[in-house]
Amino acid sequence: MATRFENNRGVESLDLLPSALLATIIAKLDVASICSCASTCKTFNACISQILSFIPTFQLIEIAPSMDLLRPLMPPNPYLRSLKVDCNRLDDSAIQTLVNPSLHELCLLNCSDFSGKLLSEIGGMCKNLRSLCLGSVAENRGRAIHTSDLEELLGGCAQLEALNLMFDVSLFLRHNFARVWTLASEKLTSLEIGYISSIMVTELLSPNLGLHQSPNHIRPSILPSIQKLCLSVDYITDTMVNTISRGLVSLIYLDLRDAPLIEPSVTLDLTNAGLQQINQHGKLKHLSLIRSQEYLFTYFRRVNDLGLLLLADNCANMESICLGGFCRVTDSGFKTIFHSCSKLLKLKVSHGIQLTDLVFHDISATSLSLLHVSLRWCNLLTNQAVANLACNKDLKILDLRCCRNLGDEALRAIRNLTRLKVLLLDGSDISDMGLSFLKPRVIQSLVSLSVRGCKRLTDKCISALFDGCSVTELQELDLSNLPNLSDNGVLFLAKCRIPLLELRMRQCPLIGDTSIMALASMLVDEERWHGNSLRLLDLFNCGGITQLSFRWLKKPYFPRLRWLGVTGCVNRDMVDALARSRPFLHVACHGEELGAEQWDGSVGLYTLDHDEVDELEQWLQEGEGDTDDEEMGDAENNVEPME
Amino acid sequence: MIEDNCAYNGIPLPNVTSKILSKVIDYCKKHVETPKLDECATTVDDELKAWDADFFKVDQATLFDLILAANYLNIKSLLDLTCQIVADMIEGKTPEEIRKTFNIKNDFTPEEEDEVSGENQWAFE
Repeated sequence: MATRFENNRGVESLDLLPSALLATIIAKLDVASICSCASTCKTFNACISQILSFIPTFQLIEIAPSMDLLRPLMPPNPYLRSLKVDCNRLDDSAIQTLVNPSLHELCLLNCSDFSGKLLSEIGGMCKNLRSLCLGSVAENRGRAIHTSDLEELLGGCAQLEALNLMFDVSLFLRHNFARVWTLASEKLTSLEIGYISSIMVTELLSPNLGLHQSPNHIRPSILPSIQKLCLSVDYITDTMVNTISRGLVSLIYLDLRDAPLIEPSVTLDLTNAGLQQINQHGKLKHLSLIRSQEYLFTYFRRVNDLGLLLLADNCANMESICLGGFCRVTDSGFKTIFHSCSKLLKLKVSHGIQLTDLVFHDISATSLSLLHVSLRWCNLLTNQAVANLACNKDLKILDLRCCRNLGDEALRAIRNLTRLKVLLLDGSDISDMGLSFLKPRVIQSLVSLSVRGCKRLTDKCISALFDGCSVTELQELDLSNLPNLSDNGVLFLAKCRIPLLELRMRQCPLIGDTSIMALASMLVDEERWHGNSLRLLDLFNCGGITQLSFRWLKKPYFPRLRWLGVTGCVNRDMVDALARSRPFLHVACHGEELGAEQWDGSVGLYTLDHDEVDELEQWLQEGEGDTDDEEMGDAENNVEPME
Repeated sequence: MIEDNCAYNGIPLPNVTSKILSKVIDYCKKHVETPKLDECATTVDDELKAWDADFFKVDQATLFDLILAANYLNIKSLLDLTCQIVADMIEGKTPEEIRKTFNIKNDFTPEEEDEVSGENQWAFE
């Protein structure tokens, strides 16, 4: 019987593998790596042109491709199931290429230059679509989007299970808008909307409340199967919360956020009465209510401990609670939530101005096993709270940003959290010595670490963190706003050979050219050099950066860099020249934060370059206390007696 | 088939060496034996992953042989895992780095190379 390998020597070189197996390997790569492969030799080049016509997943978000770049990468492919593209440089002419009938998952970001035709074409072609996410559609001037486009989308995609419209839908005609949703697939279980007015939400769901219906004409429920609802609205109001809670019987996940432009009146605000209405059908597991200070210093004035007590009554099965802007709630309110939610996995509180250590005082006596704790701008917290929280050994994410009073003792407590992946300690009072507590166990499991604005830190913090450890998991490191961090620290960092993807060193006055040279020459391992691993480097307002640095930012250095932050007004010519020679590099010159936006609520994560004092807290303390009691009085009158 | 008693003399595998076959058997045994208990799912999973990471610390020739064997013997999980390992070795590298890792000869002519690099320049600026 003839054998394939007569001497059983097997295959010694990758390009000698049979093409079917090469295809299996290459299909697991991201598009950039696939193209990199295509440039290595003829075998791969030929293989890859074929692979692109049957690859099941195609994702290109690290750059915004032009049509010329995209077309050869997307030949006709009847097997394509999942597509995700940054469409910043594309418009309606790309629709034919992007909209593929075989798709199950489609995510198109930054579609500002597209018109509403994108939606109607998707509805017309993608009959098998299960999940759809569209960002910023038709936001550019001159691009039109109509309710009829939405109608065709909802009517055409009859298998749709998840829909995310990351743009402002309040521009659609209000009276048609509600009607259009009757066409939505019955399988739709997840709905996220980038911006919608609370009145539109109430109108949309009010048919579900069964009011004003004659017995002969029962209207079918709108969005009957919705389990997950994430909305960004103008004002979170009692009426809206009530309509949602009563009207959606299968709701498991509710995420509401608002950003008021003017101070809400009592009829347009969330009060204790509204909180009482949440989770009427008992299935809610995740709740997030956040008031953002994007336009105005404001918070949930009409909610106090009573509201949280009422909420806690319905909370027994909750797994995740996120509360932002509940500044009147004190320890007793927060503690009641804790004690009621025995299955809690995730707790997020931001602007918990009155939250103190007492809330976590007896947490070790509960059976809670938290995975994600985020306590942001909770300035009354001390190390004691962290010591108590650290009894949750399975903690993966610990976000204690802007809690000024945390210090080295908190790090001592954190050192036992061996599963920790994300640790954010911006603005705390830690020192170099405290960071050494993270060696060796925590630092070897961390994926993301931020010590932004921890002003006591010096160059020694780098050796405290990394000396003597082999760190392979860390991907993101934020060393911004450290006045004592100098080139020596960065030199040491480069020597540690950590395969970082993101490094931020904003506003560090002592960081200069030497640091850039060190990072550019960093050899991660024998096979990756020239500072290869970095995708994001933020050097905004670093004091020592001169023209010399720009030579080290050009090719062949930092070959996979996608985001660069520099101070644009200095070295203007060099910045322009760099941007021209590297057309796929996002260069940010005005101090804006870098990185693709995240839609899990971490938008706004870095928008405030943190100063010592939380401005909202200061504004609150400066006495706007008089008006509060009046408003609380109004609100309390609305609370219904419990049955 | 085995049920018909044709295998009493052993099953010939002309395309797999004994060295590779013994590794494949070790892999299969380990993965069959590991119980899937719900309560300690994370610890068991972590241990298995650590074992896998150690198991596949082999030279490239062995790795490719394992891929071929997994394909020939139709062991999907092993094929998936080994292909992923090779993919991870390619991921994020520039063409020059990929060539160095796998000892691949650059057989483009200078003109061809210019053209191909030009097309794919965005990937590894």
